Amino acid sequence: MEEKKLPDVLKKETSRRDFLRGTATAAGSALAITAIGGIAPKKAEAQYSVQGVPGTPPYAQKYRFAERHNCTGCRSCEFACSLFHTGNVRPALSRIYITKYKDMVDVPVMCWHCDDAPCIAACPTTPKAIQKDAKTNGIVLNEKICLGAKCMKCQEACPAKYIRGNPDTGQPLICDLCGGDPQCVKACQEQSGNPQGPCLMGRPVGIGVNMAYRSVTPEEAGKDLANLLFYPNVEGKRVVPAKSKTKKGR
Amino acid sequence: MATPKGGNFGKVLEIDLSKQTFKTRPVSDEILQQYIGGRGLGAYYAVTEYKAGKNALDEDAFVFVGPGPLSGTTKKPVWLSIVNDKVEFKDASKMWGKTTDETHEMMVKEMKDPEIRTAVIGPAGENGVPYSCIIVERYRAAARSGTGMVFGDKKLKGFAVRGTKYAVPVADNAKFLAAAKVNKDNNVRREAWEGIKRWGTGGLMELKHYLHGSLIVKNYQTTWFPDVVKIGGEEAARTFWKRHASCTNCPTHCLKLGVIRSGKYAGMVAEGPEYESGGLLGSNLGMTKFDEMIALIEACDAYGLDNISTGGVLAFTTEAVEKGALKPTDLDGLKPKWNDGDTYMEMIRKIAYQEGKAGKLMAKGVRKMSKEIGKGSEAYANHTKGKELAAHDPRGDKIRAYSYTMGTCGGDHHEGQGPQALGMTAMADSLCICSFTNFLVYGAGTDKIITDMLNPLCGWNWKPEDYWTTAKRIFTAERVFNVREGISSKDDRLPIRMYKEKLPAGPRKDVIFTDADQKDMETKTYGFFGWDAKGIPTEATLKAYGLDYLIADVNAAKKKYNL
Repeated sequence: MEEKKLPDVLKKETSRRDFLRGTATAAGSALAITAIGGIAPKKAEAQYSVQGVPGTPPYAQKYRFAERHNCTGCRSCEFACSLFHTGNVRPALSRIYITKYKDMVDVPVMCWHCDDAPCIAACPTTPKAIQKDAKTNGIVLNEKICLGAKCMKCQEACPAKYIRGNPDTGQPLICDLCGGDPQCVKACQEQSGNPQGPCLMGRPVGIGVNMAYRSVTPEEAGKDLANLLFYPNVEGKRVVPAKSKTKKGR
Repeated sequence: MATPKGGNFGKVLEIDLSKQTFKTRPVSDEILQQYIGGRGLGAYYAVTEYKAGKNALDEDAFVFVGPGPLSGTTKKPVWLSIVNDKVEFKDASKMWGKTTDETHEMMVKEMKDPEIRTAVIGPAGENGVPYSCIIVERYRAAARSGTGMVFGDKKLKGFAVRGTKYAVPVADNAKFLAAAKVNKDNNVRREAWEGIKRWGTGGLMELKHYLHGSLIVKNYQTTWFPDVVKIGGEEAARTFWKRHASCTNCPTHCLKLGVIRSGKYAGMVAEGPEYESGGLLGSNLGMTKFDEMIALIEACDAYGLDNISTGGVLAFTTEAVEKGALKPTDLDGLKPKWNDGDTYMEMIRKIAYQEGKAGKLMAKGVRKMSKEIGKGSEAYANHTKGKELAAHDPRGDKIRAYSYTMGTCGGDHHEGQGPQALGMTAMADSLCICSFTNFLVYGAGTDKIITDMLNPLCGWNWKPEDYWTTAKRIFTAERVFNVREGISSKDDRLPIRMYKEKLPAGPRKDVIFTDADQKDMETKTYGFFGWDAKGIPTEATLKAYGLDYLIADVNAAKKKYNL
């Protein structure tokens, strides 16, 4: 058989030094983009670094994404969230929560950090009780101004049906992305594994964040998941071999 | 009486169903330090509130659920909604007779809250089947000790719980979180943990068949069942499982949900097979059709029957028919034979409703059945202390015999393999830690890991030794409860088949559970806990564990039962 000629470029051996140089250039350009974009925070904010992405400069995770079919319903996100915000584990105060759809699937319900933020638009107070932190994309609540349970215009406006009330104060529980380092994402990644990947992901730029999700309600998301996973029983209908026997019947 | 500093609210909810009232009973830090909670606290109340010979179906008998007792009996069926500080007694007459899944759905609908958690009984519990159970959130069972029957006797259909108001107090949060992280890291790095994440326990079916030689087949006749590939974890992963689900804040997501795609059960969304449900209602019945096996598991859950005991009863009945000890006329014309899913389905229904001669006979459980049938059937009646064995053949899995024979509840696979493990499991159950995560940190300094978490959580000053003293105290208190009813080493035995019949095939071919094995097990267990050769806790032991108040009870039992 005639020996095929390899292209020159493949014949050339890449030395370790060359390889490292190539990597350095790539990292350099990433830094350059960051500098131009002006989103690299100062050193004091370095605590909000991107977790688990080696080599990236520390900057806030402005977007979050849920790979919903990976959710196992463990609710570690709720635990982490309430622990971070209140110092105690109390899932009722979590800014992200898991709901069940027909006992078939668990649906993570969370803030999609919409660019136009209908919740803020709906807030009737001046100045607004909820505001977006430009640096982190998190929504920050001013507890002194917020009208609480009697208003909840933000809840009505939320296209994702995400916002719920604090059972103690009545004020809305809204996601502030933990100031750039969402604890729910970390907790989810710690819990995940074999074979289920993490459900929650945080990203600084937002590529990979599917904006089409932003107006999906928990109920719709549940239907989607049931449809995806449980064919032919997408309705969650009970097919049980056991039948109830009431006294009247027999 | 000191109130606890953390980890516990220092009170239990006490519900009286007769008067439909509730109150909270304070629990002191001293008691919690001795008995922790959960199983340990239950043991404490059982030995202190009950005298010997108590019937679980008495009106003032209580059911202890996690951290609180329920007692009394109502005239009309009720269910309870427990939301924060409020307990409501609700009418359950419309739910009475409904299967567990329907009841769960009705409760969720009535509470208008998808996040409530439920625990309910099915028709089997209502009809007083002694191995009926409580089904938690539709797919999980609190089974094996007949609590479903006690609920049914009290006319209590179940309860729905939701708490939004309180966070568990922690004495030293920072230290506790650091210790919890160590515990988690220790857990998640284990291979077994990875395996349970991927396969649940269903994957053990193949493992136990090919490697371990302890899969149960056709009423423990053998451990060799090549058809396991049609019903095991591999088949489930290929054709059935669709998602992994977990309990609250657990990284192990061992619950596997799937859907049957075709056939007569098309569209059935179900959980399983787990090792026990797949073993008892699969290989133990010689099942080779996956969908029929899953349907049997689903039916047991829906009726609120213990999968394990039901599988044991069905297999025993089948073998009794095979050997001529039972005739179809004794079973309302049913002719059970291995791998006959439809007949088994009908038998399960009859058990749940105690319907006809067959239902009433089979609802008694294997021990009473074999006593009633006679004709040599005790040779293949597989139970310990009247409880049907789980899906681990103790001839192939000898260390499992500790759990079956020495465990408090008899015939139970989850009480701990080995003397130390028996104590560790008692601790895990009292701490309300899942025994999967507990089992997987064995040998890795569990005592230290647990005390490091407990101290900052509760504000205690435990040393690792205290872990062991408490474990032994709880386990010994339970033993005293049993001794008061006349239990001793003569009852700590496996079924006759395990001592008499060699395994005919498989990786443990020709193995038998010998008398030497039995002797060794007794010596090690009794020695570890400080019991005498007959398995009775000695006076010195009781004093050492602070159980002095039980010495009189033990002496009375020794006299009464000549132990």
